[in-house]
Amino acid sequence: MFKYYITRFAMLIPKLMVISIIVFIGIQMIPGDPVTRTISPEVYAHLSPVQLNELRQELGLNDSMVVQYLRWLSGLLRGDFGYSLVTGGKISGIIASRLPATFELAFVSLIFATILGLLFGFISAIKKNTIIDYTNTVLGMIGISVPPFFFGLLAILLFSIYLRWFPTGGRMGYGHVTFFARLKYLVLPAFILGISLIATLMKFTRGSMLDVLSKEYIKVARSKGLSEIKVNLKHGFRNALIPIMVVLVMRIPMLVGGTVIIETVFNYPGMGSLMVSSISGSDMPVVMIGTFIMTSSVLLASFFVDVFAAIIDPRIRFGTDAGGGNGK
Amino acid sequence: MNEEIILKVENLQTKFRVGKRIVHAVNDVSFELKKGTMLGIVGESGCGKSVTAHSIMKLLPKNGSITGGKVKYYDNNGKAHILNEYDRNSKELRTIRGKEISMIFQDPLASLDPVYTIGSQISENLREHENISKKEAFDRVVSMLFELGFSNPEERYYDYPHNFSGGMKQRVMIAIAMICNPNILIADEPTTALDVTIQAQILTLMSKMQKTHGTSTILITHNMGIVAETCDEVAVIYMGRIVEFGNLEQIFNTPMHPYTKALLKSVPVLSSGGEKRLEYIPGATPDGSEVIKGCAFADRCKHTMEICRTKQPVESIVDGSHRVLCWLYDKGGKNA
Repeated sequence: MFKYYITRFAMLIPKLMVISIIVFIGIQMIPGDPVTRTISPEVYAHLSPVQLNELRQELGLNDSMVVQYLRWLSGLLRGDFGYSLVTGGKISGIIASRLPATFELAFVSLIFATILGLLFGFISAIKKNTIIDYTNTVLGMIGISVPPFFFGLLAILLFSIYLRWFPTGGRMGYGHVTFFARLKYLVLPAFILGISLIATLMKFTRGSMLDVLSKEYIKVARSKGLSEIKVNLKHGFRNALIPIMVVLVMRIPMLVGGTVIIETVFNYPGMGSLMVSSISGSDMPVVMIGTFIMTSSVLLASFFVDVFAAIIDPRIRFGTDAGGGNGK
Repeated sequence: MNEEIILKVENLQTKFRVGKRIVHAVNDVSFELKKGTMLGIVGESGCGKSVTAHSIMKLLPKNGSITGGKVKYYDNNGKAHILNEYDRNSKELRTIRGKEISMIFQDPLASLDPVYTIGSQISENLREHENISKKEAFDRVVSMLFELGFSNPEERYYDYPHNFSGGMKQRVMIAIAMICNPNILIADEPTTALDVTIQAQILTLMSKMQKTHGTSTILITHNMGIVAETCDEVAVIYMGRIVEFGNLEQIFNTPMHPYTKALLKSVPVLSSGGEKRLEYIPGATPDGSEVIKGCAFADRCKHTMEICRTKQPVESIVDGSHRVLCWLYDKGGKNA
């Protein structure tokens, strides 16, 4: 079991390498003098062409691509992301102020959407072909097909402007330091961000549950005299979760990608709105590093989902093929 | 032989709704199970054997329902429970399921929940019905596994279903069914999904369990050979009706119904002569959604008479418990 986690973790490394190579190539293709991306623009402005050339030599910009890549990578690992073209500030500093906000938003949204999606899907499955099931299906269809920014605007109009329950946007008011003080800023964006995930999970949970409920071992569980709750939860839901985990892994990138839109709609100062402003300001180094970090976090999140999937499915945990043997 | 009756099925009818059609799976099934005996229910596939078994436990899928008849179960105190009147998942039925009547299913490969250890799946049944500690449950499960031929039950307790072969899984299923020492065990084609060498092993094990625990057993099968080896009484079922019922000698020595005779001839027998060709029953079982006016076997029978196509045969008692559903043996019939 431990070995499984180690292998899974080790498999992250080549994936991250590939992403970093893509990002590096992307940075190389950015127009303009690469020197500007390794030194502060103020210093750059005071240098003569001769000095610049010396600096280029010194910074290794005349070295081969491979050497430059490795140097860039080691910088990346030490947290040296280079400089923004627009503000001239260190990218690491910009990211540090934005990343926790997005992490908070995406995490809250993920938890929230997962719980609701599983719950609605479960209810739909055990109340199959009833009015509850039909209502869920219709709502789910709307949730999948309507774009999230539309829900965002609608929610701001209703809950923030008419009802005045939640703020229209932002991340925290003055002095709102603790997580709970910030929670009211999170409710709307987290919910809107999660809508399509809720709908997707609901649909898959319903299908997966119905599939499991038709299995022979469910009948066996009933033949033991177990109550319907036990049959549905212990034997039904637990097994239904296994394929849902895969769906969840595949949806995490879309959730993170969704932050770009939601953060813009709610004026939320996270990675997503940073990406939007950087793209419109042509601040390519920030865009590339931002992409790298968001992709890495998606990979990491998938890893944790894999770990969780192994906890619920012993067949994954022991890495055995089904049937035969008594491998432990 | 002990003649006390433990389960009585009277004129059971079970129907399925498939889209707009109604499929009559069980039309009129009546039989009795005597305490401590093994009853075989034999028939071709699709004749309503499994549905009969599922109807007794009320484990039918949602589109199936019992539309007539009675299933009476007499518990240890002699109290009669009319099982078909209990609600599908009611408390009354749940205290009987698993504890007093338990079931072994056709496909052992699909019958175990893949995410729990086999030990926990066996003890789940025990702990549902008996108020005992985890430790006691563990001991009971381990000794049951040992009785079923697992050499290292303490270790096997913690294994998952994917660590077991088909035959072992079926033994685990027997353990689940037998752990509460039920009064009735219903085995729904317990060996069909297993290969031949394992079939004998499982059957021997089941007979042994039935004898040592005195469990009354209903064995559902399509294999006359299995019936001959294990059962005390036999019910031959065709299109949801019991066409012949009797004890082992009656059915095998003096089969009456043409269908029973045909079934007996279709059992392969190994002989040095090799002259005898295996017989088969011509035609296929009719569609259950059509209502047949006369005898359902008429189209495939060698002795079909005028009356067979127009009127449903009535039951004739041949000799004591031996009864048959065929116009040939009707007291007013010509060909008797």
